[in-house]
Amino acid sequence: MASSKTLEYMSLETSSKWKHLPSPPGFTKSFAHKPIAKSSSSGSVSDSYNKLKEKRAWELATAPAKSLPMQAFMLYMSGGGVQIFSMGIVFMLLLTPFKNFAGMNDAFAPFAPSAVPSKAKSWTTLPAQKLAYIFCNALTLAVGLWKCRSMGLLPTGTGDWLAFETRNMSPDVSLF
Amino acid sequence: MRLIGLVVLLLGQSVWSLHESEVGIVDWHKKLVGVPLTASPATAPVFHRVGTDTTRSIVLTATSSNVLAGLNPANGSVAWRYIYDSKDVITTFHAYQNIVASLSGPGGATLRVFDALDGHLLVEKRLHDPSFGQLTEPNHIGTNIAFLKHAAREPSEVFALTNGNTIQSVSGLTGEPKWTWTSPDHVSVSIFTKIAVTPTTLYAIGLSKTFADYKLHVTALDTSTGDQLASETIPSSLTDFRQLTVVRFAKDSDAVAVAWIDGGSLKSILLDPKLKAKAVTVKGTAFESIVDLALGEHGRFLAVKEDGAARLVKLDVAGGGLKSVHEFSSVDASAGAPVYSGGLDKDGNVYVSRIRWSSTLRQAVVDLYSGHLAQGLSTSFTFPFDTLKHGVFSHATLDCAQPSDLRPLTRIALTTSTGAVQLWQHDQVQWTREEALASVSGAAFVELPEQAQDSAHSVDGEEGFLQRVLRQAHDARGFPGYAMRFGKRFVTGSYDGSGDALSTLPPPSLSQHDLPLARDAFGFRQILVLATPYGIVYGVDTRTGEIVWSRLMGLGWAHETGGSVMPVRVYVVKAVGDAGPEESGKAKGPEVIVVAQRRSENTLIDTVVYHIDATTGKNVGPSAAAEDADDGFLAGTDVIPGPLVESFVLPGEVKAAVLIDQYLQVYIYPDTPETQKAFRQLAPSLNFPLRSRQQGSFRIIGHRMQISVPPSARASGSDSESSPNPESGPRAVAHPTWKLALLPGETLLSIQSASRGTGNIASVGKVLGNRTTLYKYLNPRVFVVLSQVQASAGDGGAETSTSNAKTEAMCAVRLVDAAKGAVLYSVLLPSFGGVCDVHVSLTENWLVYHYFDGTDGGEGTTKGWKMVTVELYEGKGVDDKTKSSEISAFSEEIMDLTALEQAYVFPHGITAMATTSTKFGISSKDIIVATKNHKIQSIPRRMLNPRRPNRKPTAEEQEEMLFPYDPLVPDDARRTLSHNYEVANIEHIITAPALLESTSLVFAYGLDLFLTRVAPSNTFDVLSENFNKVQLVLTVAGLAAAIVVTRPMVRRKRLRERWYQ
Repeated sequence: MASSKTLEYMSLETSSKWKHLPSPPGFTKSFAHKPIAKSSSSGSVSDSYNKLKEKRAWELATAPAKSLPMQAFMLYMSGGGVQIFSMGIVFMLLLTPFKNFAGMNDAFAPFAPSAVPSKAKSWTTLPAQKLAYIFCNALTLAVGLWKCRSMGLLPTGTGDWLAFETRNMSPDVSLF
Repeated sequence: MRLIGLVVLLLGQSVWSLHESEVGIVDWHKKLVGVPLTASPATAPVFHRVGTDTTRSIVLTATSSNVLAGLNPANGSVAWRYIYDSKDVITTFHAYQNIVASLSGPGGATLRVFDALDGHLLVEKRLHDPSFGQLTEPNHIGTNIAFLKHAAREPSEVFALTNGNTIQSVSGLTGEPKWTWTSPDHVSVSIFTKIAVTPTTLYAIGLSKTFADYKLHVTALDTSTGDQLASETIPSSLTDFRQLTVVRFAKDSDAVAVAWIDGGSLKSILLDPKLKAKAVTVKGTAFESIVDLALGEHGRFLAVKEDGAARLVKLDVAGGGLKSVHEFSSVDASAGAPVYSGGLDKDGNVYVSRIRWSSTLRQAVVDLYSGHLAQGLSTSFTFPFDTLKHGVFSHATLDCAQPSDLRPLTRIALTTSTGAVQLWQHDQVQWTREEALASVSGAAFVELPEQAQDSAHSVDGEEGFLQRVLRQAHDARGFPGYAMRFGKRFVTGSYDGSGDALSTLPPPSLSQHDLPLARDAFGFRQILVLATPYGIVYGVDTRTGEIVWSRLMGLGWAHETGGSVMPVRVYVVKAVGDAGPEESGKAKGPEVIVVAQRRSENTLIDTVVYHIDATTGKNVGPSAAAEDADDGFLAGTDVIPGPLVESFVLPGEVKAAVLIDQYLQVYIYPDTPETQKAFRQLAPSLNFPLRSRQQGSFRIIGHRMQISVPPSARASGSDSESSPNPESGPRAVAHPTWKLALLPGETLLSIQSASRGTGNIASVGKVLGNRTTLYKYLNPRVFVVLSQVQASAGDGGAETSTSNAKTEAMCAVRLVDAAKGAVLYSVLLPSFGGVCDVHVSLTENWLVYHYFDGTDGGEGTTKGWKMVTVELYEGKGVDDKTKSSEISAFSEEIMDLTALEQAYVFPHGITAMATTSTKFGISSKDIIVATKNHKIQSIPRRMLNPRRPNRKPTAEEQEEMLFPYDPLVPDDARRTLSHNYEVANIEHIITAPALLESTSLVFAYGLDLFLTRVAPSNTFDVLSENFNKVQLVLTVAGLAAAIVVTRPMVRRKRLRERWYQ
């Protein structure tokens, strides 16, 4: 039983690229891997692994939301002025959501269910977690935009577009 | 937006002001006195000598600008001047020893006594109420001044004849009155014109009107008491008051004689207290007129015969009459009438000169008679008077010295028809004052072209190899100097003192004028074209204020009859950028036109256009070929055979003047197919207002252009467009479209266009702190109407704003759309004493007006000068956009506007107001005012923002740089542009952009000329003077040297690292 509880990380790594490497000299896989109850528990083990992975994936999905209070505090401390510090934070807030979104599939690939290893990087894997992840990143982005707005960097007013307004000649001209 | 705001905020915090080191470099000031009044000896220039042993002389004159001035004869500078109020017209002035006394106002209401040399006002005394003054024509009739000094230590006693019937005696030091005598006769019957004083008796000489002529009338008064001793009418018959003169020897005799021309013969009478003497006739030929030589106190005058010969006549006390001592022979008067003048030397010897123009010698000829030398020495000499530059001489006054026996040395102060005052010492001109500049009637800034680079490269066609090498070697000679200059400029950032905004180098000297005029690096050097009513046009360098060229405007066909040219407007018709490639052979300079009305002596009025190259003053119009025939005067082109009603400049790319005659016909100048085409394209949309008056009621009538298509072209169809033939087609005619009738009893004072500057509007809106926008109301057709509402009619309209509107006249300011006559904004202001002294400036959507508020509104209000700022915005509020600058005048939305206004107390009265203008209109626009205390002041735009809050500004308002409202516009001496100059009686201020966006040139003219440059938003496009460019260059150079030194070291170190790692 003890051996059955031996954690073999490699089995989690269904998508690992080292799976097909030959074993080191003198290492026998069968010795290290002594299945006791093959038939009954292999399915339940991978099931629990998947559950574990799913849980970890949820954790990853909500990670941006968890850091929000800290970022909000930093924003509060950085003040409303246009300075290098506040600008740095704002840029970070504005950029990381997009970076996270771009690398989302890679980030979630380790937590993909081992059933279909080829689909580990697909959009359809872990859809709920990914949606949550996108939502949390959107929250971060929203905080960044709110900060931009409070610093007056968002072109929301008519005044921000005034420079692009042009006027033609009037059809009636005064000589005087 | 906010970043820009921040930058502006940072810049705005350093307070701009004129530094003392910049005075005379960024600005210049011409102190003028005005053109001397030469028509009458009572006001004409006169040499006056003060002192007995060591004497100092001064040229005293009263001028058409209503100034009494003393000119220093040594250098032509203004020793002193006293500027009279415009209602207080100088009627006469007289100098006596060390004082000058003047009478001014109606009938000579006010007596002023000045120190003759330094102009200190000693006495100012009102002799009678100006409203009781007798108005005479000319105005010196009935006023006269005489002096008497009893003892050396006593002040002179001044006797003033005013109103033609009152004589008053006052002390010349305190103005204390001694006695007053008023003639019992009514002025309409008898009027006194001259007084002569002896220690015992004062003689008042006047004329009594009879049915056919005038009779001489003399009254003798007791000098010390003013009692009438005798009064006699002398049997005589005069036709004109000018045919009368009074002569005496003030120094050594009490005898006073009156001489007059009576039916062609010269008569005289010696006056005595009893007035018992009989008139004596001088034997000889028929005399025509008497010329007063200002030698009446020295017993001499000139009587001119009918043939033009003039006889110098001297009072002969012993003989009981007059004696002729010299005769100036008759000369050909075709080259202009000769000018006679009398003068004295240090010892009081009398000299008389005749100055005439000789058309054969092309020089002025002086015939000088010195009576005390060799029993009457008569000498002649010529001096090279430049008649093409100064016209003809109209008056001369003489001062003499006698350095050696029989060699009198003359100084002649000459006044010319162009308003110039010149001093000729013998035949050398000492100085010239162009006093016509004191009455400029049209002015324009003209940008200069860039320096021509290819002066040496003028070889056309083939050029051999050798020639080319030689030419390039020749050109390369200047390279070391160029490299030096470049290096210097690179290191120090100074542009040879020619353009740096803050350079403290003096302006270039006169010698640089051999070079063709070219603009400087920043466009501060421009040409000011100034047209004056004295028929002369000047080109003035804006950097130094020197006159670069001056041209006399020719009379054209009116040359025979005589006449005058009155310039109306000056327009730039070709700017620097407009020089077309096809004109490479012709002058490339910018061109201006002077639109003038020529009034010939036979009362015909024509409209003439003078077309001038602004850099040289050469004629470039179609009449240029005819110029040689016209004696070198500037030949004009007769455009309208009749008076001009109004003139405008055509908007758009093609520059042309549009002239309207009294039949509303339209004339285009220059009249080329190009301008005609441009006009025809624009014509259907052109509107303009004209003032009119019908049956005593004023109205403004709007007009629109109409081009009637000729019938033939209409028949032939659509090809009329392809062949525009201005010669055959009928003239465009304007026709009335709307009428704005003023209230009954309302007087139209003026209509004033908006100042458009370069026409560039940087922004169509104003962004508020919360990033909403107030869209500016930029209707391009708005103009200002100033009118005065009479007291009785003030209650007619619904616009009565104050309770006493019914009792006092009010002044109305209206903004009117020129295309349909709609009143967009109107306000009624109180007048002061029934006079509207309102000054208005309108630019973009910003109206500023200044007036005197004399109404007593009770507690919390104040009397005084007020300045009101009004900003017009589209729609009802923020973000309400109607696109007012592009919609038609007949759109409903054009009337949809909001006016924001705020009033301020202004510390001074003003005489002129303008806004600055910059190249792109990005810099803020300051208001420039000429105040009544003779200063030029700028008022920042921020100060006159009508949105200034009445409390502590909020954060958003602070972002807009609004600061709390303060009723008073502070009298900030740092904002005085004119330094400590006295810039007097400014009537107009014009502004022009420089090449730098930050900087605007400001030119104020009136009596004085003043030019400066201002940077309303500070010189953000120029490095400040304290920027250490040397340090920057040295730092960069040091760093470069360090790199050169360390680079091999680093390379060696790296190599070693690779080996021994």
